[in-house]
Amino acid sequence: MVDQTGPGGARHAASRRNFLKAGLLGGAAAAASAGMARAAGDPLITEVQDWNRYLGDGVDAAPYGKPSEFEAHVVRRDVPWLTSDPVSSINFTPLHELDGIITPNGLCFERHHGGTAIINPADHRLMINGLVDTPLVFTMEDLKRFPRENRVYFLECAANGGMEWKGSQLNGCQFTHGMIHCVVYTGVPLRYLLEEAGVKTSGKWLLAEGADASAMTRSIPIEKALDDCLVAFKMNGEALRAEQGYPLRLCVPGWEGNMWVKWLRRLEVGDAPWAQREETSKYTDLLADGKARRHTFVMDVKSVITSPSPQAPVTHGKGPLVISGLAWSGNGTISRVDVTIDGGRNWQPARIDGPSLSKALHRFYLDINWDGSELLLQSRAIDDQGLVQPTKDALRAVRGGNSIYHNNGIQTWHVNTDGVVENVEVS
Amino acid sequence: MLKFPKSAAVAVLGLTVLATPAWADGDAGAGEKVFKKCSACHAVGDGAKHKVGPELNDVFGRTAGGAEGYKYSSAMVAAGEGGMVWDDTTLTGYLANPKGMIKGTKMAFAGLKKDDEIADVLAYLRSFSQSEAAVTPAAAAAAVETEVAPVEAAAAPVADQAVPAEAMIVEKSQGAFGLGRVATPDEVAAWDIDIRPDGTGLPPGRGTVAEGDPIYAENCAVCHGDFGEGAGRWPVLAGGHDTLLKERPEKTIGSYWPYLSTVFDYVRRAMPFGNARSLSDDDVYALTAYLLYLNDIVTEEDFELSNENFASIRLPNEANFIEDGRPDEPHYAKGLEPCMTDCKPGPVEITARAQIIDVTPDGGGDENAGGGID
Repeated sequence: MVDQTGPGGARHAASRRNFLKAGLLGGAAAAASAGMARAAGDPLITEVQDWNRYLGDGVDAAPYGKPSEFEAHVVRRDVPWLTSDPVSSINFTPLHELDGIITPNGLCFERHHGGTAIINPADHRLMINGLVDTPLVFTMEDLKRFPRENRVYFLECAANGGMEWKGSQLNGCQFTHGMIHCVVYTGVPLRYLLEEAGVKTSGKWLLAEGADASAMTRSIPIEKALDDCLVAFKMNGEALRAEQGYPLRLCVPGWEGNMWVKWLRRLEVGDAPWAQREETSKYTDLLADGKARRHTFVMDVKSVITSPSPQAPVTHGKGPLVISGLAWSGNGTISRVDVTIDGGRNWQPARIDGPSLSKALHRFYLDINWDGSELLLQSRAIDDQGLVQPTKDALRAVRGGNSIYHNNGIQTWHVNTDGVVENVEVS
Repeated sequence: MLKFPKSAAVAVLGLTVLATPAWADGDAGAGEKVFKKCSACHAVGDGAKHKVGPELNDVFGRTAGGAEGYKYSSAMVAAGEGGMVWDDTTLTGYLANPKGMIKGTKMAFAGLKKDDEIADVLAYLRSFSQSEAAVTPAAAAAAVETEVAPVEAAAAPVADQAVPAEAMIVEKSQGAFGLGRVATPDEVAAWDIDIRPDGTGLPPGRGTVAEGDPIYAENCAVCHGDFGEGAGRWPVLAGGHDTLLKERPEKTIGSYWPYLSTVFDYVRRAMPFGNARSLSDDDVYALTAYLLYLNDIVTEEDFELSNENFASIRLPNEANFIEDGRPDEPHYAKGLEPCMTDCKPGPVEITARAQIIDVTPDGGGDENAGGGID
């Protein structure tokens, strides 16, 4: 299929317009020489623009629409030195370019352990086995006959911010906080499926397994599985993207992203956790005394200012400035976000705007009148359980610098007098 | 179509080989199996892209270092500039001893030790090359016959086709919704391969350290290093003792992992990387025994690991795993009311800056300065 919105198509259209325009300018020049005065003002207003005169593409020029060509820089990006190979790696959501609370599907960060599995939904099966009355197999068609729910949840990788434990390292909130996304999922409550198979009273844990080349596995307490977990097949209204587990993924709301098994093919009920690779050698939190925490499931209360930030500097000089950011908690909703512009000496409550949903991103704003002096911006979230986002120093005091996971410390951005922003830490 | 149709490829090659009895020579079907050692790093076939190594479509006739878009070692680029072209002779030499032939190549693979394996894998790769360098005189003569082969092959039934669902006895779910069907014991056995720390789930089998050595060398060493030390940023599997308190802990099987069952389970479900589920259970026992040996947990080369003695092996760091203690951390104490005004005594100082470290992508800094997340 010819994609007329691609760069090639755009260039072609532009050159054709230029050709027409050249002929037109001849006419304009003739008119000017006849004595017409040139209007004063912004030529974008006083002169008729191409897009105002000539017809654009018709419908179906892009049967599946894409962002404007002027937004081509808004993409996921990776940090090549983090991992050994792109098929077992991560990239980052461009938080600094987004607003509201919903992440567009094509910008949701990716984390694979064996590349993206490509599965025809007709070939996909979900098995439930182990401590159940009847081991069952479902097709996608079967799953779509169970009652559905729609829920907005954030998904955050436990390693989000993992590179910052030892100090400011990456200059951009895409890289320091971009292992997160938030979409509306459509799926079947996991408990319906487990009840269909009949969980035995000895069943205390659930193993979720993916169909990809890493056969990703995680142990989940049965209480959580029967509480709010979803087996989802849609995100933001359309089918899951392949890189997000098409055709089926598990949602484990508020808990670390690694547990949200993609390409979900099997659920096993057992009486003890399985101690799989991703819950022993990885996704365990090494402390300063050599002990390591396991089963650190919940994602803590956290926030970050997404603009201004290193990739989104202040370009307009002093005067009105919108400070915008995101806050979230795996415990529930966000009840308040405080913002400081002087590095934490004085704080003021920010304005949360848009829906406040449990275990979803919250959008906050602080509208200030910037005097052009240096700023040390921070945000601090408080959740509905009363938990307050800690400083990075408070976390290090308890855990040391080698935990990798669960870094929810307060982020500082330094804004200089030119509006340039840098990732810093402060006294 | 996403993947090169395996059945068609084999059919074409079978015909080629039959028609060229003089070609010395490799068996492409066997070569496909040998290529699994390469497939963690190299792709070939329809839609193949560069991975750790360059894609290998049309490698015959390609100038060394000449695959577009792949970042070669300077040694490989120099070889190409010196006129080296990949053909039967150069590929045979390279696969036998990569570093011996191209000193400085980034290919970590130690080389194929057996001549027939090299011939087989070249026969396999030749089937993805159009160049004359890939065609032997006898094969060229058979080209007319080969051309018609794909059509026939495409029409041929796939040999190992799964039993269609209609042929199975389908037992309906007895649950509230009556959706889904009862899983058969064979189906459960095919997918339920997880092992728990107490050994639950282990298949019958056995393998020794000495048996694991060559399996490791062939399948694992390319990424994990000859001694489990890790190549590039691939995971380190051995060593790292007494590093957990240090600036850069090395979290290996011996220094960090709590349970041996995790090694067996993970190797069996996901290794070798890019060719999962290809090892026999005995191979996995042997590899697990070898990894114990690399970690000095067993010391005898004739040590045999089996489903019988598996649960008796304990890893040194097991006792250092504790449950989540975050709720008890002081900054999460209940009822904390955060300070709003005059919270710090004087002006705030900057104590660390990202631009000093300069590891942000496109930052032009030292890309090796950072730390891994995985």
